[in-house]
Amino acid sequence: MLLRSINAMIIFVTACLLFACADKQNFDQYDDLSVTPTVTSSLVYVESPEEYINNTAGLDFYTQDFNFDAFNEAFFAERVLDGSITYELENTTSKPLEITLSFLDDADNVLDTENFSVDPAPTAVLTREVFYGGATGRSMDIIRNTSAFRVAARNLGDNTSVSGLPDPRIIFRSSARFRLRLK
Amino acid sequence: MNLKRPIFAIFLFACSVTWAQNRQLLYDFTDIPQALLLNPGMETSFDWFAGIPMLSGVHAQAGTSGISVNDIFADDGLDINDKVRNRAVFGLGAGDNQSVSSQIEIFSGGFRGKNRPQNFYSFGIYGELDFINYWPKDLAILAYEGNASRLGQRFDLSHLKTRGEMLSVFHFGINRQWNRELTVGARAKIYSSILNFTSTNNDGYFLTRQGQNNLLANVLAANMRLRTSGLGALEDAADVNDVAGTILSRGLLGGDLGLGFDLGFTYHLNAQTVITGSLLDLGFIYNNSDVQNYSLEGRAVNEGVEIILPNALVDPTADFWQELVDEIEALVPFEEDDSSYISFRPTKLYGSVKYSWGMPKGKGPIDCDCDITGSDRSQRNQYLNSLGGQLFMVNRPRGPQAALTAFYERRFGNILALRSTYTVDKFSLTNFGLGLSLYAGPVNFYIMADNLLAYQNLAAARTASLQFGLNIISWGDN
Repeated sequence: MLLRSINAMIIFVTACLLFACADKQNFDQYDDLSVTPTVTSSLVYVESPEEYINNTAGLDFYTQDFNFDAFNEAFFAERVLDGSITYELENTTSKPLEITLSFLDDADNVLDTENFSVDPAPTAVLTREVFYGGATGRSMDIIRNTSAFRVAARNLGDNTSVSGLPDPRIIFRSSARFRLRLK
Repeated sequence: MNLKRPIFAIFLFACSVTWAQNRQLLYDFTDIPQALLLNPGMETSFDWFAGIPMLSGVHAQAGTSGISVNDIFADDGLDINDKVRNRAVFGLGAGDNQSVSSQIEIFSGGFRGKNRPQNFYSFGIYGELDFINYWPKDLAILAYEGNASRLGQRFDLSHLKTRGEMLSVFHFGINRQWNRELTVGARAKIYSSILNFTSTNNDGYFLTRQGQNNLLANVLAANMRLRTSGLGALEDAADVNDVAGTILSRGLLGGDLGLGFDLGFTYHLNAQTVITGSLLDLGFIYNNSDVQNYSLEGRAVNEGVEIILPNALVDPTADFWQELVDEIEALVPFEEDDSSYISFRPTKLYGSVKYSWGMPKGKGPIDCDCDITGSDRSQRNQYLNSLGGQLFMVNRPRGPQAALTAFYERRFGNILALRSTYTVDKFSLTNFGLGLSLYAGPVNFYIMADNLLAYQNLAAARTASLQFGLNIISWGDN
């Protein structure tokens, strides 16, 4: 009986080895594999108290170009598919203000411009989402070639009034959300 | 079809190997000299043996934890993206480990002491490869989905745990029958490490949440370290097409050296019942040549470029972007160093209990607490059948891993011995294996295969192993 069992095992193993098989595999599926994570991060934050605006003569109370290499880093620029940038403008000062954010390339050429105008306080927080890529978004080349931002802030009101709200200021917030192709 | 696809498939399979260290088919298989490597205190009845160089012990083992090639590449009409998402990225847990190991004997031999026949000495050199990686679940999700839809979720950096080594082992063991009941053994090992890398004590997280000033804040709290030794030498060798020479040089005591021990015993509870145990690779390697270590340690919160007036006007030439980058790099510095380090071998523990019965025709019952000396030696291990259980444990970065094995052995005279096993662990409940040891005069050949049911569909196999060897053996009384 035991011998039969052993024989059966030997036959089984031999059969396993001789007739080992595998379900049909289709490695061409690898071409269809798509890995496209969506990453998000804050971009630029600008804040100015009303006191500083009042103390600055002229229309433009702040203009600054500054380097921003996140978008034209090779890893990002070569993989980015589409996405959006969300802006938020909060004005608790007593004056109408205008903020302009320009996207600049390496040669300081303006690739794109986003203008924001807000009324004096009290006013709602201005929120805007701008899409890039896809069928309806702006060109992704704007993002891929951006290497600097220019922020320009204008006071469209007076230089004397002070808001009755506590700690009056203009705050500009922004964040980016982009889809990347890793595979 | 380009090479990427099969390589990816092999990577998936290789990266999902588990239980690579457990050699339950060979353990305490007393007909085979290589079983001494798993228990230096195994009962031996050889007078001497000589392994055929490069062929005396070849072992390769593979298995999968949670996923197989078939799960991803089966031609089943399902979208591969759904399969990868559901079965890999979200199907595997941080506790799923992927490991692989192989061992090949360069040469081996053994002999019984002339003046002290109760002593059996064995020695040799073998090469070993051992790699383990735990599935970095949170990092895989982060790479697959990104952080945009997972605000507030901490991606755990401790999920990244990996360790690997390639080394050669020079060993010498003494096996001694202490008395009629007890056999003990010990083996000393000198390790010559060819390659070592370890990153097992990582901690920290990556988190995206609502910002305090800006819309979002990315938080990185990291305490991560990767230690490597030998990697640079192999990279340099690859540049000049001399990888084999470098492996040989570092493997022949030219690499990082270490010291280790194996201990084991066999004890007869009665004539038919035997318990055994062994503790293997109780040792370390001092990595001090060609060391390259990398670390990332600190905590940083990033809310983008911040321009707060009027302070931002103090330096009109300020580069806000570079300041942000510099600040993050200062808070979470990525550093390299070449300081030496000690790596511990993955220590293994085996234990077994075995009950034997049945005598060959023409032989009456014997008292199997017979002595190794003189003619009694040939009377050992004469029972035709053995049944028993084994425990295996191995020390891993996330703690010990265990497996239980039931086995049955059957002998056919002095020609053939068979061993069948059934092993359970957290990954498989259907692991059946079979080993065969065949004698043709003094020539011993053995072959063993694991997880035989998987041969029905190899692509779906989650564990499989094969080991074989060729020895010349003398019992002295042959």
